[in-house]
Amino acid sequence: MARMTIQPLLIAAMVLTLLAGGFAVWAGWSWYGAAHDGSAAYAASRDKVLAAGEQAVQNLSTLDHKDLAHGLDMWQDSTTGDLHQQLANGRSEFEKQVQQAQTVTTAKVLDGAVTELDDRAGRARVMVALRITVQAPKEKPAAKDSRMLGELTRTPAGWKLSALGQAPVGNSAAN
Amino acid sequence: MSTTRHLVNRQRRLAHAGAARAAATETPPERGKRSSNASKGVNSLKSKAGSEVRAPSLSAGTRSASLRAATERSLGVLRRRVSVLAPVVLCLLVVLLGAFGALAATRADSLRSDPAARNAALTDPARTSEVKGQTAKAVAALFSYNYADTAPADKAVSTLLTGRAVQQHRDMLAAVRAQAKDQKLVLTTTVTESGVEMIDGSRARVLVYADQSSTRTAGKKPETTYAAAMFTVDMVRGSGATWQISGIDTFGQGS
Repeated sequence: MARMTIQPLLIAAMVLTLLAGGFAVWAGWSWYGAAHDGSAAYAASRDKVLAAGEQAVQNLSTLDHKDLAHGLDMWQDSTTGDLHQQLANGRSEFEKQVQQAQTVTTAKVLDGAVTELDDRAGRARVMVALRITVQAPKEKPAAKDSRMLGELTRTPAGWKLSALGQAPVGNSAAN
Repeated sequence: MSTTRHLVNRQRRLAHAGAARAAATETPPERGKRSSNASKGVNSLKSKAGSEVRAPSLSAGTRSASLRAATERSLGVLRRRVSVLAPVVLCLLVVLLGAFGALAATRADSLRSDPAARNAALTDPARTSEVKGQTAKAVAALFSYNYADTAPADKAVSTLLTGRAVQQHRDMLAAVRAQAKDQKLVLTTTVTESGVEMIDGSRARVLVYADQSSTRTAGKKPETTYAAAMFTVDMVRGSGATWQISGIDTFGQGS
């Protein structure tokens, strides 16, 4: 009968289905695990913080006297908290200074690292090695390396700088 | 005769329509009962099918015999259809499950091999602080120099450097070594800040801020100068869990 020839085929199909089912379950589990890996999420926010920190530090070290309003808007956009307040308060004074000096300041991020990250609290610290070039009228551009230390805070609009300063030099070093 | 044909045709139609369901139905009465709500003339059909099975021998005679043969024939068709259809359905399942499995496996793999996820900087706190600590120690040892006691500096060079960092370090400290005796120079380097950028297995990259004080005691009054340094070091984990510096990047500035 036809039954005799078809039965082995059916069994083979069932075995294959079982194998495929097992593979699908394993792969699905693995996918779920990888997608919900806590340290992967932490790594992703670490990289996000670094990118945001480097960009913000660069923004705050870039200013063209011919495009002051835009430049200073960018400064305020990159910051939050106390730093944002300071920049907003000192803005008009600073505008005057830069317009008088007629400088064009550009910055290049040489390297950066996240030193602390509290993903839950939304706070992080970064180090950014920066090369700042200041171009004053009728002068040679002067390049200066800066060791920046920044603090970032998470806001609804992403990570923003809440503090920025240079690493102190001298005998203050305590390690 | 026409009634029988009618029934046979009906059975065939049903077999065709309910192929999936048919796997369970081995007995015709079930089939007859289940289909009883189908159309007019159902009652007579039902009674006929029922009597055919329940009392096959006595009254029906030759008519029922031919009916049985027809039923069996149609059942054979049914069975064959199921036997053909089941593997097809299963094969379809295999393809679908396999496709999902392949998709999930590749997604999981790409998530895991993502450079961001592989980088253990900060995500592995123990390893991160180990790298930080060893970097600070290595930098301090390698960039400190005492004209009166050069042994520690020489030992640091021979144990903490590897690869191209050996030559880089030699170039960076050449001036210090040349002048140290005459100026009675003591160079002390302290790492003030360090941030681990990347840890991938036995390799790491660390951004270092360091302060350097150099004291010259050759003159009447000792003079000390401070300098700020920033650079990146590549670290390699050697045997015995010690990290060595394999490369130094001063961003194009002499340190």
